[in-house]
Amino acid sequence: MAEVDVRKPLPAITSEAKPFWDAAAQSKLVMQRCQDCRAWVWTPRPLCNECGSERVEWTPMSGTGEVYSFTVIRQVVGRAASKAFEPDIPYVVAWIDLDEGPRMITNIVGCPVEQVKLGMKVSVTFEQASTDVWLPKFKPVEN
Amino acid sequence: MSLRNKAAIAGIGETPTDRLGSKPGEARKSSAEYLTWAMCLALEDAGLALKDFQGQGLGVTIPTAYPQPFWPEEAAEILGITPGFLQGGATGGAGAVSLLGAMAAAINSGIIDIALVIGAAAPFSEHWGGGIQPGDMRDWEIPYGTMGPNSKIAMVMRRYMHEYGATLDHFGKIAVAARYHASLNPLAYLRKPITVEDYKESRLVADPVRLLDCVMPANGGRAYILASPQRAKSLRRKPVYLKGFGERSNPSYGPRAGSDALIMGVKDAGKVAMEMAEVKHPDIDFLQLYDDYVIVVYLQIEDLGFCAKGDVSFYERTDFTFKGQLPIQTGGGMINCGQPSTAGGTLHVIEAVRQLRGEAAERQVAKANTGLVTGLGVLPYGKNLGCCAVAILGDEL
Repeated sequence: MAEVDVRKPLPAITSEAKPFWDAAAQSKLVMQRCQDCRAWVWTPRPLCNECGSERVEWTPMSGTGEVYSFTVIRQVVGRAASKAFEPDIPYVVAWIDLDEGPRMITNIVGCPVEQVKLGMKVSVTFEQASTDVWLPKFKPVEN
Repeated sequence: MSLRNKAAIAGIGETPTDRLGSKPGEARKSSAEYLTWAMCLALEDAGLALKDFQGQGLGVTIPTAYPQPFWPEEAAEILGITPGFLQGGATGGAGAVSLLGAMAAAINSGIIDIALVIGAAAPFSEHWGGGIQPGDMRDWEIPYGTMGPNSKIAMVMRRYMHEYGATLDHFGKIAVAARYHASLNPLAYLRKPITVEDYKESRLVADPVRLLDCVMPANGGRAYILASPQRAKSLRRKPVYLKGFGERSNPSYGPRAGSDALIMGVKDAGKVAMEMAEVKHPDIDFLQLYDDYVIVVYLQIEDLGFCAKGDVSFYERTDFTFKGQLPIQTGGGMINCGQPSTAGGTLHVIEAVRQLRGEAAERQVAKANTGLVTGLGVLPYGKNLGCCAVAILGDEL
């Protein structure tokens, strides 16, 4: 029987997404913004999803936002790689609406799962997942 | 161009479902066996033979449980058909309803006169557990430990409860109505009636999603035969006419990078279908709604315009059983009949046909002349469901 891979799955660093991961390694959150209609483009795309312009440029984000919704993962299911998340249980998977508008799927870290609430203000923090990949996660904003 | 009255369903077939030994005596069945079985049942129902489909339409939903890009062609080989118009249902769980539109358009254009559409899969026997395919899920979701559709729908459900004040009692009512119908459907898998309390006490799967919110995966096969109205009238069953069709894929309400995740594309697909069918809400006698989760059924009712967005009181005062003001899921839905991967949505087309033929026995809606069917598929990044198809069927030209 083949050995089960228990490493956490990593994103592929595609050509469209490389600037995002390069910035993340410097603890900076960036997203593409259309230079014509000013819309934010997320996830990384070759063109603006709103107006079709190819003039999309990587732009620094404030790194703050609020919890649009979330769930608490208390069991791993599905594909074999899910097993790698077992030691983290319970953990929060959330939709964060950034102050600029785009919505990210991420984890809320730095507080007990019971304290996560909708509308809670959060700010970005970077966790190293491999040599090249620093995953942006979010923690509650200190009052 | 309108597809109103341009095609009719002339035959249906539904196999029993199994979960590989979860019930005593269940046999192991492959996708090929279910595919063939569903086809034989539909041919028998319509009084047709395999040779009637040579050079005609064949539509096959593409299952996610065992992704095989050439599956529709292989299905044709398994069945022994040489189609003149072969289509894969590529809109995920919406496939069976999308194919209704595609095949009706092909029939209306004159390139085919009849089409066989099959959704069959055996995820319990043949689940493909390997690699992760390129895309948003690989790069932006899975690295955060998302756990499939349950965790995504949990976020939709929690946000909805937060914004509109819906409670487990509202969702529970839908679960109870669907199970009640399943108790009256000999082909349903889960047939023991439940109460709202049973729903509320069921195990949390992905907070706030509970076990009784979720669709039940199963092995199974379902098929329908679509024909030109002239051809359908020459066959032995009472034709069920396509009245309206609408589809919206990759819908977005608000900016695409951060859309309103509580609005479903059936809002627009439904409008298109109802205009084509020339019907208003009171003309629709029942709904068969794609049901991967209870919250998804709930959202479709309001997004199709049967009540205002967020009007939770509508769910309190409406009887959703086959005897009520707005019957839904009259055979129990996929939640109780089983979801053979993305092939599952075929169920709703079949149940609508049964109702419109007056063959739904103990669960027959008294006045069933017009019904609405939906298909949904794909849970894209940060949004509600990505493929939405709506069909309106009727019993008269």
